Amino acid sequence: MSKLILKHPKEEQQDWQAMFSEWAEEAPEGPLKQYYQAGMIAPDTALEDTPLLALDLETTGLDPSQDEIISLGLIPLTNKTIRCQGAQYWMAKPERSLNAESVTIHEITHTELAEAPRLHAILDEILVALAHQVVVVHCVAIERQFLLEASMKIYGYPLYFPVLDTMDIERQATFKPWWKRFGKQPSLRLDACRQRYKLPRYKAHHALTDALSSAELLQAQISYHLDPTAEISNYWI
Amino acid sequence: MDVELTEILEALCQHPPFNEIADDPQLNDMTKEIEIRYVRSGEWVIAPSMPNNTLFFIRSGALEVLSKENKLIRRMNEGELFGYYSLLRGGKSSQSMRTIEDSLLYCIPARWFLKLYEENDIFSDFFELAREVRLRAAMESQNSDVSLMTCPVISLLRRPPISADIGSNIRTAAKIMTEHRVSSLLITDNDELIGIVTDRDLRTRAVAEGLDYDTSISEIMTRDPIIMDSGDYASEAVLKMMERNVHHIPIVKHGRPIGVVSTGDIIQKESHGSVYLISDIYKQTSIEGLKSISLKMTHTFTQLVFADANTQMIGNAMSHIGTAFAKRLLQLAEEKFGPPPVPYCFIALGSQAREEQTIKTDQDNALILSDKYNKKLHGDYFEALTDWVCRNLDECGYDLCSGDIMASNPRWRQPLSVWKDNFSEWIQKPKAEALLRLSIFFDLRGIYGDKNLAVQLNQHIRQQAKQHSGFLTDMARNANQRKPPLGFFRQFVLDGEGKQSRTFNLKERGIAPIIDIVRVHALACGSDKLNTLERIEDIEAAGLLQEGRAKDLAIALEMIGMVRIRNQKDQIEAEETPNNHVNPEHLSSLEKRNLRDAFHIVSRQQEFIKFRYAGKRS
Repeated sequence: MSKLILKHPKEEQQDWQAMFSEWAEEAPEGPLKQYYQAGMIAPDTALEDTPLLALDLETTGLDPSQDEIISLGLIPLTNKTIRCQGAQYWMAKPERSLNAESVTIHEITHTELAEAPRLHAILDEILVALAHQVVVVHCVAIERQFLLEASMKIYGYPLYFPVLDTMDIERQATFKPWWKRFGKQPSLRLDACRQRYKLPRYKAHHALTDALSSAELLQAQISYHLDPTAEISNYWI
Repeated sequence: MDVELTEILEALCQHPPFNEIADDPQLNDMTKEIEIRYVRSGEWVIAPSMPNNTLFFIRSGALEVLSKENKLIRRMNEGELFGYYSLLRGGKSSQSMRTIEDSLLYCIPARWFLKLYEENDIFSDFFELAREVRLRAAMESQNSDVSLMTCPVISLLRRPPISADIGSNIRTAAKIMTEHRVSSLLITDNDELIGIVTDRDLRTRAVAEGLDYDTSISEIMTRDPIIMDSGDYASEAVLKMMERNVHHIPIVKHGRPIGVVSTGDIIQKESHGSVYLISDIYKQTSIEGLKSISLKMTHTFTQLVFADANTQMIGNAMSHIGTAFAKRLLQLAEEKFGPPPVPYCFIALGSQAREEQTIKTDQDNALILSDKYNKKLHGDYFEALTDWVCRNLDECGYDLCSGDIMASNPRWRQPLSVWKDNFSEWIQKPKAEALLRLSIFFDLRGIYGDKNLAVQLNQHIRQQAKQHSGFLTDMARNANQRKPPLGFFRQFVLDGEGKQSRTFNLKERGIAPIIDIVRVHALACGSDKLNTLERIEDIEAAGLLQEGRAKDLAIALEMIGMVRIRNQKDQIEAEETPNNHVNPEHLSSLEKRNLRDAFHIVSRQQEFIKFRYAGKRS
């Protein structure tokens, strides 16, 4: 099977290293500046040498401008192994009260959250964990947007980070032009993707479990579709 | 910040040994140090001759374990652990592991394995308990369905207790036992049970010792015998009898004896049907009558299986039925052709001799003639007699032997001295291939006529075998020729082609190798037993094997034998001809696992005899 090199033509590939040094100049003093100052790996770093960090968060809803982050899970990995040792998990007390609907999804209750700190208190720690890492998520839009909103609110400046999106990788790996496609494009939900690689079923909607889920999915995807010796700039977005 | 990797911990704790130690608080810390790897099908996890410092847990997928010689040892799948052998041996790995499906592995660092192994007995027990022991436990739990298990011991009692007062003498006791036709007598003092006397006690402790008949019964009784309560299960009585080697157990209710259960009572309970069948066989005066009974045999067989009789009971019953057919036919033949001109002994060979027959067997038999035999004078008589018997055995469902090992073949109808010479030749100049064909002769039982001829021949065989170590080497080589279908976990190692392509042969690959192994050891220790389980007892007593290993063989035989018997029962019910081929797809996962463990024992024991009887000869 030929290895997937993602779509972007060379000139469109992001140079996160260059952008990080720009933002390090602009960002206000404090944890966010330090995060940017820690820098980013060079775009010609091989995928197999890239420090990766799978991330997932649970929120009170789907609208980044309205809803809030209530938990966040992280787990470090490389293309070969996932290290539970570096796993981290936070809960954050939302400003507004939880609605019943979201409680049934993530099963985090009011009492648990009542004892948790506010997001601004933990975002400092999260930034330390994120420093110098390429983030792995399933569906970049949610995580990126929620963290950016939170950062704006707390530090008054946006938080950006390079991402490997397992959903996007899967979309490209399973993509077939319409004339070859009978029926629909396969589902890109995390669980459906995992099943394609015979990964076990996990209970969804716990930030740390979901982070672990996408970490495992990425390993499977790398072994099938990506070239570990290729430059990370081919894959990160 | 306390991070709980719930998903990982829960997955571990669904499988042994973690399910047993789920409350160990260290597990959470251990989980934090786990690394996870996704390994695609066909990749090495532990490459040949590479050291290993990880305990692997298969979260999903499947692997195969290969020996140093790159031979498949077994397959493992979800929930199984591997790598611990090498961790217990300081990282040296003698086996290699390769994925055969895309797999997700949890890698537990060696130090956690060793820590738990040292600190947690349940954990270390799991790894120490050899597969053999797990198998034993599996067997015990499987027995929970057995009818004896669910029937109370009281249901086996056939008469009120027969007892004598402690003041009685030996003569009175014997008189009471004779009057009531019992083989045991309870001894009481003021209605309180204090001892038991059996036929055997009278024989060994009184008569053989030359005691005076007026001696008090208390001299020879067994004091404080093992007793059971009326509410206990019959199966417990069986276990106690086997454990303590006793044949009678007094049953008490509210402390007072209400009867005695003997081994005979239990056997009768289990093989009710076959006893009637045998007495029916002896009543027949015509071939037609015998044929009509033979048609009932499948019914008797399935009844025994339904009654949850074990393989030993079934083998015993089926062999006795086979023997009864042969005996009755020989009696009828002697009526037809006249009394024999010289003594002879009709001998059963192979499974019938070992009393391990199942429903479907060819006839394997032979004839030992007295040395007074003169071919010119007596040849015709024995030819006619054996022809008639073997042909009619065929009519009764015992197919003619495809290898022509039958008394009707003049080659296998010889005077004792010729037989002795034959065996000396086989034993002194063994050729492995030739022995393979002849091994059936090493299980030899006289079933009719002058059985002393068979006894003498067996003695000769044992003496010769013990004296010639090269013979044991060749027998051991034979026993290693048929390999168990190991590694059939997901992709079975299947036999044959065509109709049999989805199956493997339980007799060829499991039962026969065990019988062969046991026969070699039995010959080595000069056992005069023929039955495989009885041979195993002798082997154990002789200390030929490491402790527990002899019993493992018995368990493996029972396990494989049981699957075979159930399979044959299913075949009968589906109106097919029963055979020894089993389709693994029709087995339960428990049966598969037990079989795998049993086959594992067989291959280990095959390895062992290879070394035990290693000879110089090529």
